Amino acid sequence: MKKPINRILDVPTSDPDDARRRRLLNILLLGLQVAALLVLAGLALDSLGSSRMSSDAEVRVLLQGILVLTLGIVIIYLINRTLSGRLAGLLFLFLLLAVFILTDSVQELVNGRSLFLFTLPIIIASILLSPGASFAFAVISSLIISVLAWTVGLFPNIPAITGFFLVALASWLSARSLDQALQELRAVNANLDRVVTERTQQLAKALERERIEASRNQAILNSIADGVVVFDTDWNAILANPALKSMLDLPVEQIVNRNFRELIEHHPLAPRNRSLLYAMMEQDTQPPSFRVEWGNKTLSISAAQVYERTSQGHTNIGTVTVFRDFTREAEVEKLKSAFVAMVSHELRTPLNAILGYAEMFREAIYGPINEQQVNMAQRIIKNTQRLLGLINDLLDQAQMEAGKLTIQAAPVRPVDLLENLRGVMDQIVQEKGLALTGEIEPELPEVINGDAARLQQILVNLVNNAVKFTEQGTIHIRLFCPRANRWGIEVSDTGRGIPEAELPYIFDTFRQVDGAATRVQGGFGLGLSIVKQLVHMMNGEIKVKSVLDQGSTFTVTLPLIVPALDEETWREYE
Amino acid sequence: MSELALIIEDDEDLANIFATALRGVGFEVEHVADGRLAQSRLKSGLAPYLILLDMHLPHISGADLLTNIIRKDPRFADTIVIITTADARLGEAYTEQVDFVMIKPISFVQLRDLTSRLKPKEQP
Repeated sequence: MKKPINRILDVPTSDPDDARRRRLLNILLLGLQVAALLVLAGLALDSLGSSRMSSDAEVRVLLQGILVLTLGIVIIYLINRTLSGRLAGLLFLFLLLAVFILTDSVQELVNGRSLFLFTLPIIIASILLSPGASFAFAVISSLIISVLAWTVGLFPNIPAITGFFLVALASWLSARSLDQALQELRAVNANLDRVVTERTQQLAKALERERIEASRNQAILNSIADGVVVFDTDWNAILANPALKSMLDLPVEQIVNRNFRELIEHHPLAPRNRSLLYAMMEQDTQPPSFRVEWGNKTLSISAAQVYERTSQGHTNIGTVTVFRDFTREAEVEKLKSAFVAMVSHELRTPLNAILGYAEMFREAIYGPINEQQVNMAQRIIKNTQRLLGLINDLLDQAQMEAGKLTIQAAPVRPVDLLENLRGVMDQIVQEKGLALTGEIEPELPEVINGDAARLQQILVNLVNNAVKFTEQGTIHIRLFCPRANRWGIEVSDTGRGIPEAELPYIFDTFRQVDGAATRVQGGFGLGLSIVKQLVHMMNGEIKVKSVLDQGSTFTVTLPLIVPALDEETWREYE
Repeated sequence: MSELALIIEDDEDLANIFATALRGVGFEVEHVADGRLAQSRLKSGLAPYLILLDMHLPHISGADLLTNIIRKDPRFADTIVIITTADARLGEAYTEQVDFVMIKPISFVQLRDLTSRLKPKEQP
């Protein structure tokens, strides 16, 4: 909003110098008009109250003069506003000169008190037109006073004329330096404007980029199937995506801006699930991801703390929580373990029956049988046992994959391990014409901590593997103490060995060295894979060394923990 | 008079094999094929010398029969209890409560040899 006075004074133009000059001219015009009106007011007061009476003719001339002056001012003002500032300025200066000439006697104008008036157009010209114009008006003013002097028969006033030119010089210098200063200021301004424009554009671009990125992130967040909630440090939800709706059975609006504790409290949850969620909010103690039953859904939840790097180090600024609908997987897992349990029972039971009947047959329960029949029964028994072994391997593998197989450590005697192994393997080894030898290093404690069943499984699988690939010679088992806090199982054979290229793969599931061997040797190639997995579950390691046609050595090393046994338990083991 | 062995086993073939093994060593054998029948038989005043108990049974599980009847009734205090199961872990859990745990598959010969050792010595 411009003030009304500014609206009268300002001239709309693109050149700032021109605008400045034209505004100045308007101010001067206004001043002149005010001066004329003051003269008029003085005249009125004079005619009313003063005793001294001016002559009518004199008053009339003065009134006419003021009228002409006003008319001139209006015309110049209009020219200044609409046509040209310079023309208006020129006209104004001439008007000013004319007024000066008419205001005083020639005598006073040429040599007296009004001489100084002629310096005004010189100064004003330098500001209003151009710095150099001051000299033009010095010439005009000099000519006027010379002509006036000549009309009354006087010699031109040389000191006054010199003075005019000195004033013109001073005006020229000051106006020029003002112009220069203004120009410099404008250059600075223009530069500033350019910088501001550039910065504004950069900022606009950055904002646009940020907006695009934000909308892209929002689009990603909206379209992913996982539910995502961002919490601040007080567990107030500050952001949530639409996927949560179906998972938590709550509209997003009821999740955002709400405290998670409050949300949990208002939801019917089993105590176990509630305590898991509280543990998540208490932090540190809970696993990176856990499962929670929420309504009829199983959700897998993982929470990650968000840190901001500050001068004081890393500051926690909240938590990003991802909810995944695990309902289907949980069902499949349940089905899988049910299936495994079913297979475990339903496959083993009929095989047990076959085994039992074959044994009864071999034992000639119902009357004497001949040698071939005994032999046949023996083959049925052997094959059934092989099949049972395979089923056990498959079930173990399935259980390990489902994470169901656990290691349960209890005191174990290495001697028992070796004895039990002999009970299981002696017959098989002998049938193939091989020898099975075993040794226990005296450094190994008599009782150690371990899962007897799983250690037995490791031994049986390793020896079975050795038997499978050894045609003659010995399978040797050594239980030993390689270094402090470790104990080891070593199974070496005199078999055909493993080609070097195959060594990295021998522990893979369903893999046997030399594909064709599978047919000859039988088996799924699960034995070694199970051994490796069991060893890893016991925090141990397994290595294999092999020389072609000389044999292989499998070495398992496990953490050695000697159980702290009281005297009574010791006696039990002795 | 020979001693009584009670076989509680839902699989007919296994029961048949076990019965043959036990008869072979001189036991008198009775067989029940489900938990509920076993429960009523055990409560009827039967006093077997040996019980061969399958842990996986219809209606009432072997574990329940063991905990709620066999281990509560003083009549069975001297009875030799052998449990049979395919689940080695489950079997391990009961080693303290029973005389023997046999993990399936159970060999005919193995059962025959074990029970022949458990059989009371014939009085001269």
